[in-house]
Amino acid sequence: MPLLTISHLDFAYRDRLVLKQVDLEVESGSTLGLIGPNGGGKTTLLRLLLALHEPTRGSILIDGLTPHQAIARGDVIGYLPQRPAIPQQFPLNVRQVVQMGLVGKTGMLKHFHRDDLNFVESLLDRIGVRDLADAAIGDLSGGQQQRVFIARALAARPKLLLLDEPTTGIDRNGQQKFVEFLESLKREMNLTVVFTSHDLRAVSSMSNRIACLNLTLHYHDTPEHLPAEMVYSMFACDLEAVRIRDAKR
Amino acid sequence: MVNNPRFWVSSPDLNLLAATLPLYSRALFTAGAMGTACAVLSVIVVLRRWAFIGEGIAHAGFGGIGTGWLLSLAFPIFAHPGAVYAVAVLFCLGMSLCIGYVTREHGSAEAFGDDSAIGIFLVASLAWGFVALAIYNRHRPPADAEMWEKYLLGTISYVSTDTMLASVALSAAVVFAVASLFKEILYYAFDPLMAQVSGVRVAVLHYVLMLLMAMTIVVGMRIAGSLLVTALLVLPGATALMLSRRLQWVMTISVLIGLSGSLGGLVLNHSVWPFLPSGPAIVLVLFAEFVIAYVWTHFVRRLFSTPSV
Repeated sequence: MPLLTISHLDFAYRDRLVLKQVDLEVESGSTLGLIGPNGGGKTTLLRLLLALHEPTRGSILIDGLTPHQAIARGDVIGYLPQRPAIPQQFPLNVRQVVQMGLVGKTGMLKHFHRDDLNFVESLLDRIGVRDLADAAIGDLSGGQQQRVFIARALAARPKLLLLDEPTTGIDRNGQQKFVEFLESLKREMNLTVVFTSHDLRAVSSMSNRIACLNLTLHYHDTPEHLPAEMVYSMFACDLEAVRIRDAKR
Repeated sequence: MVNNPRFWVSSPDLNLLAATLPLYSRALFTAGAMGTACAVLSVIVVLRRWAFIGEGIAHAGFGGIGTGWLLSLAFPIFAHPGAVYAVAVLFCLGMSLCIGYVTREHGSAEAFGDDSAIGIFLVASLAWGFVALAIYNRHRPPADAEMWEKYLLGTISYVSTDTMLASVALSAAVVFAVASLFKEILYYAFDPLMAQVSGVRVAVLHYVLMLLMAMTIVVGMRIAGSLLVTALLVLPGATALMLSRRLQWVMTISVLIGLSGSLGGLVLNHSVWPFLPSGPAIVLVLFAEFVIAYVWTHFVRRLFSTPSV
């Protein structure tokens, strides 16, 4: 059963059409990698899912809810932005940052629930920052911060996790660890994951479905069947990436 | 100054108690309430980089006071200083919503950006205030220049029982609102986009914060003056953030700095140099605290800390 259904979606920014006739279904428990060139509409699609934009035409349903309804509930969507722009001197420790993921779910004028706080503690263990729980967020390395922000995205136990270019700036070894980390989290929490990436290697290793987006949806299938011509046409001959993908086959 | 405690509280015993307090005690109570409310909000203002927004709202006070005086020419009821102050309060609240609207809905999307938008409101308020004053002085003897200066720089001579009770009530409301919405405010200050996509109603929160800033500015204007009241929204938070990176400590230190600065400034003004206006005295004490904290964190503490390898 699809957790995410996008039907006949158009989106125009001012007078410019950014997405046209996008139809997409993402099954519950699957991982979808969204690839496409810069300006192809990947991040715009994520922003539509996050109710930061309104579709010009068409509809989006996430677990039967519109994006606005899903966001208002606070426990349907988790999101990891590309480069979280946080003030490094902000007086918050790691635990407090992860707990922030519970704010929307808990609601105004209410305290966090005990079992949610316990889950945050288990996440701190899970992401391997238990020893740093009381450290200031600005004191952590980039990689550690990214794990903390994933934990924040998962704190409310969402059904859908959206990741915007999660492997950007991570070396090959780090990427492998990230993929394993994400896989184990997915299994434990029965997550559905949608992520964007420029990196075909990351896409092929992380996702069991792939969608190529450049104004409209050009391809939606498993990574193994992605035609090389599609990659050529979308990425303007990213030969290195194609060679790696072919070698993997 | 006419006192009308019934306007603020209904208990006759409380009115009696408040009315018997001498001016200095009333000023101390007002300064304490103002210092606490400003300090609580100051941490958010500094973290959110909203000092200039505070400046814009505070300068709306000029326009408000000018409008009040102009209205007093047409309607005698506005000749009462309390009425002029009430107009200034409304002006500040209205301006906070305007600035809130521009900064949230348009500022960053427009070619001129947030800071220019605030600057435009600021100079417009200031200009309107001076124009209104000129028109007022043309029809009335210009004996009110002293009153104008008191609005600009603050004075404890305007702290009536009404003002004190209103200040304590408004300050308590600000502290209560911040405490009630603290987790949402904190998330919004830390990462506005993520707060929004996590389900926090950031638009509501934005306007609530603008109104809370306006309320603290309104409270502080009487003692610190319209010109300098923003210092109370910046210096306690900035000082506290230099001294600690733990949230609980930052909030505690900010309140202590705000209280000591506002009360210390008043004591300095009243007991040592009575010729000083209260606003500059308070701001200079807060500034001295900031400088001490800066020297401590940037020079003294580093001198004694072991360099890490």
